[in-house]
Amino acid sequence: MKKIYLLLGLALSGSLLTSCLDNVDEPDVQDFIITSPTSIGKTNTTIYELKQKFSNEIGTNNTFKKVEENIIVEGVVVGNDDGGNLYQTLIIRSIDGETAGDEKDQCIEIGIRNTWISPYFQRGQRIKINLNGLWIGNYSKTPKIGTPYYTSAGNKRLGPMLLQNCATDIELVGKPDANAPELMPIDCTEGEGLSWLANSGNQGFMNSPRLVTVKGTIDEVQGNAAKRAAMGELSGEKEPLPKIFSPKELYDAGYAVDRTLSIAGKSQLKVTLRTSTQNDISYLPIPADERSYTGILTYYSGWQLQLRHKNDIVPAIEE
Amino acid sequence: MKKSLLFLTAFAALSIQSALAQGEVADSLDMDAADFTFTESQLDEDADVAQTISNVQGEDPYLSEVGYAFSAMRFKVRALDNQYNQTYINGLMMMDTERGMFNYSSVGGLNEATRAKEGIGFGQFAGYGLSDVGGAQSINMRASQIYAGNKLTVSATNRNYVGRVMFTHGTGFNKNGWAFAGSLSYRGAPMGWGNVPGTFYNSFGYFLAAQKRFNENHDLSLVTYGTPTERAQQGASTEEAYALANSHYYNPNWGYQGGKKRNARVVQSFDPTAILTWDWKSDDGSKKLTTSAGFHYALYSSSALGWSGDAYDPRPDYYKNLPSSIFNVYDPTKNNPSYLEENSFFMDQWQDLYDFWKADKANRQINWDRMYFVNRQNGGESLYYQERRHNDQMSTGLSSTFNHSWSPTGKYAVGVQLSTSKGMHYKTMADLLGGEYFTDVDKFAANDHGIKSDEAQNDLRNPNRKIYVGDKFGYNYNITVNKARAWGQVEKNLSNWYLALGGNIDGTTIEREGLMQNGCYKDYSYGKSGAAKFLGGAAKAAVAWAPNANHRLALSASVASRAPEARNAFVAPRVQNNFVNNLSNEDLYNVDFGYKFNFGKFSGKVGGYYARFMNGVEQTAYYNDQQSCFTYLTMTGIDRQHYGVEMFLNYQVTQNLSFHLLGNWGEAQYINNPLAQVNPEGSDARQIRELNSLKNPITDADDQLRVIADGMRVGGTPLTAFSLGLNYNINYWYFELSLNYYDRVYISYSPYQRLNKTYLNAGKWYMGEGENGTSFTEDTRKVVEEDGGLLYSADGVLLASYAKTQEKFRGNVMLDGSIGKSLRLKHGRMLNINLNLTNISNNKKMKTGGYEQNRDDSYYKEEGDIYTKGEDRAYKFTKNSKYYYAFPFNFFLNVGLKF
Repeated sequence: MKKIYLLLGLALSGSLLTSCLDNVDEPDVQDFIITSPTSIGKTNTTIYELKQKFSNEIGTNNTFKKVEENIIVEGVVVGNDDGGNLYQTLIIRSIDGETAGDEKDQCIEIGIRNTWISPYFQRGQRIKINLNGLWIGNYSKTPKIGTPYYTSAGNKRLGPMLLQNCATDIELVGKPDANAPELMPIDCTEGEGLSWLANSGNQGFMNSPRLVTVKGTIDEVQGNAAKRAAMGELSGEKEPLPKIFSPKELYDAGYAVDRTLSIAGKSQLKVTLRTSTQNDISYLPIPADERSYTGILTYYSGWQLQLRHKNDIVPAIEE
Repeated sequence: MKKSLLFLTAFAALSIQSALAQGEVADSLDMDAADFTFTESQLDEDADVAQTISNVQGEDPYLSEVGYAFSAMRFKVRALDNQYNQTYINGLMMMDTERGMFNYSSVGGLNEATRAKEGIGFGQFAGYGLSDVGGAQSINMRASQIYAGNKLTVSATNRNYVGRVMFTHGTGFNKNGWAFAGSLSYRGAPMGWGNVPGTFYNSFGYFLAAQKRFNENHDLSLVTYGTPTERAQQGASTEEAYALANSHYYNPNWGYQGGKKRNARVVQSFDPTAILTWDWKSDDGSKKLTTSAGFHYALYSSSALGWSGDAYDPRPDYYKNLPSSIFNVYDPTKNNPSYLEENSFFMDQWQDLYDFWKADKANRQINWDRMYFVNRQNGGESLYYQERRHNDQMSTGLSSTFNHSWSPTGKYAVGVQLSTSKGMHYKTMADLLGGEYFTDVDKFAANDHGIKSDEAQNDLRNPNRKIYVGDKFGYNYNITVNKARAWGQVEKNLSNWYLALGGNIDGTTIEREGLMQNGCYKDYSYGKSGAAKFLGGAAKAAVAWAPNANHRLALSASVASRAPEARNAFVAPRVQNNFVNNLSNEDLYNVDFGYKFNFGKFSGKVGGYYARFMNGVEQTAYYNDQQSCFTYLTMTGIDRQHYGVEMFLNYQVTQNLSFHLLGNWGEAQYINNPLAQVNPEGSDARQIRELNSLKNPITDADDQLRVIADGMRVGGTPLTAFSLGLNYNINYWYFELSLNYYDRVYISYSPYQRLNKTYLNAGKWYMGEGENGTSFTEDTRKVVEEDGGLLYSADGVLLASYAKTQEKFRGNVMLDGSIGKSLRLKHGRMLNINLNLTNISNNKKMKTGGYEQNRDDSYYKEEGDIYTKGEDRAYKFTKNSKYYYAFPFNFFLNVGLKF
């Protein structure tokens, strides 16, 4: 009988004490990086010089070339995917001239094959990238560093590099600096900035991409247009009302929706506001009033602006 | 007596406490619950595939041997799932009422407590219930059945656990008519010690029993048992990942966290059970009444990684991380000098990924640190987390069986079985991985409808709830199943003949109760679904002729109609109350033949069977990477046939030496193209309607969604298995050697890849030519026979449907052996030592099973409402199935001392 009591006691304690083996301490990830832990070398080229050097590849639509030498450029991350509107994309900027906005204030796009890269490359983070083994050229006229790929339609384009390449080709320089001058957009809302935007002579690859702020109203919600739901060419469905920035019904081949921004103070000047579907900005109601919009300005057949985050709309939209 | 009553009271309290103390409930799909057979090699198994090996032990020499002999290859008798094989404990049917299966892990490690068992094959009749098509087994765990004395067993092995200790004590009946028994066990392996990397095992087992014999007529017995277990799981992977890891035992489920190993998929299970049994028998022993009542509280949960928003898939063997996602080296149109000269970037990237995988073990495992880093960068809200999917069940059962031997040659049995169960399915937040909270919204619906939409809410009654560790989120529902069955059978021996007849009638109700109001299904996710009712029954007959004691010919047949399993009854049980369309009973027809013989030194049994299953229902649930959501695919109206021959031949050369041949050749095939229903979570009614609609590609007429399954085999079990064995014993030494051959193991096929809609979207349909518009070229026929496809006449009549070929694994040989010694010690003690060696030749190329990925190879470009086939992806989902391999050489050393 004693043994039975013993077993009973052991059973009770055993049930309670079957200890959890699935316990691992929280890691210290303060210094976690996916980039090179060691120096990749000294910066030897500015973005401006890079664009000059590869002007043929950058200047002709959808052409690109493999870099076979150690070209190391440096810049500050001014655009990433933290708002979901830029996909697999970093925009780095380097102000190498005397003033912001001059010809040596240049940006370039870096494609990285991962759906959430902003934690590793926060805005304000200075980085160096060694282009050796990577490709340079443009994607739809936007200067870009990456690796080619084939689209679903079978076209060869310059796409993102492997995330794994970051471990050898990219180096973080210091910590992210929220006050870095590169994060200050070029003001195109008035004065010289507005004139610059209106000047068709500026429509070239050397000025693309560019971090800018513009001001204006969106045509699709002015007057009667606000009540006219557009029909999606691919979906065959009408967009919902009241209008939002990027309804899935209106998606195009690039899974994005274009709206037209009429620039304040230059009524004939239009900028396409392009927003991909399925992100935080997509479902925001389009404001009918004048707002300022900050984002990445590129040029294809006209100026096109991609917001980075919903905070890029000022005043903010009430949700 | 006082002490005994005290013990009984404490014991009952423990039973109830152990069951109720776990009162917190949880839920989720039980996609990877492993079941276990009693063979030791199976008890320590732990794979993501359901192991459903029938284990019937009894008079049938074939069935007695086959479960153990072929267990290393997860052999299923007649390719039948566990749901067709009943298990009773102390007279009470112990099948999980939602899944229809017995959970063998609930008695894992309690070998001594479950040693007294009786099994029957399909053609036989037993006094505890009418057996199903897979047979039945009855375990007697009454205290009086446990060896009176002590038994200590210590084991060492290199399987999923590395050490085991079991202690069992039985008193037998004392002079006051009491018998007590208890057993404790522990099985364990620290992280990384088992046969599979990145796993651990931690299982405690207890069994306590008391029995009171009031007099010669009445016995009362109470037993309780449970096996709280925590174990890390192995995941299947592709041949490419195995090659890159240079091991068929590569396990993608684990990775380093702060330099220490951590597994993402950890199962926690505990099935506390209590059974009270009253046995009555008449003075002459001709009448027996056994009545049992049981209470069972199953706690099962499995953890898994979750991620939201656009966070990158954290699985290390996610296809985009593999070199083959960049470039298909098996495509000669691309892997040639001229193409690569134009497109050198393919090989560059392929090589980069190859090098990355090969450079460091950590690169091919989960990167926990990265998830912590991302979460901490995200301002409090976790993008990555570990969830725990719970499938708990509280069930009670009552059964009463009356057996009467009215003459020395005749007997009958009647009985009733009642059960009710409440399955509780939900998930909880297990770990926020460095984040502070998670918001309970459906990330996929939020993408489609906006984060502010109703559709994005997992629970509209608690919108945008912040989730912390331990909170329920995502889904929460109960499934209640009630079953009642009355059965009876009569057996009669007439000279050389034996006749038996039996039948049952049963009723089943199934009901879901949603505890969350899902935003996509706001009108039919919260509250009760209403009960679906099914009336079933079975009739069975057997006849045997035994001209003498050495020969017996038996023939049996049955018809049955079974209610569908509750787990298959709802279109998307995590989020909807809707029942599957066309849900109905499964009908079974079965014939079984056997000849048992004994020619002196030569004895054995040969037999054959044919079973037909009609109107079956099966549901698969998977993460649909193509549509980025969790998806259910249900097939209804499934017809299958299983047939084959079985044999066990034994030749006794001398008293000490014998040879045997155990063999099975079977077929288990789907024989029609069942209707299909697809339900992705997070999709609204319109999207689901679209996914389930189908147009004839020629006439544009509406058609039905079907899975082209005709000709597919049941996967994950050898349909051919033979074992040639040698047994030798001398002076209490036992030697056994067996050479096993396995063949015709098929992969578990993907219904998604074989949907007629998948074929149409991929352009795998062909229109007839010629005068009648019904002719097809040889090339076309070859293509559809290999890749699957649909053949239409020129005027749009579907002429034939072909299922894509199902992969068959290569036949293989495994050598097993064992050696044992029994020693009689002083004072009546006995020591048994046994060493089992499995896969002695260390064959690491034996696939035990696997599954096809639920994706096809095409990449679609949507243009208007027309889908056109775009450029094929480099990665071929159809060529990259996931596999499990049999363990390499392993041993099991067992030392048992009876004292």
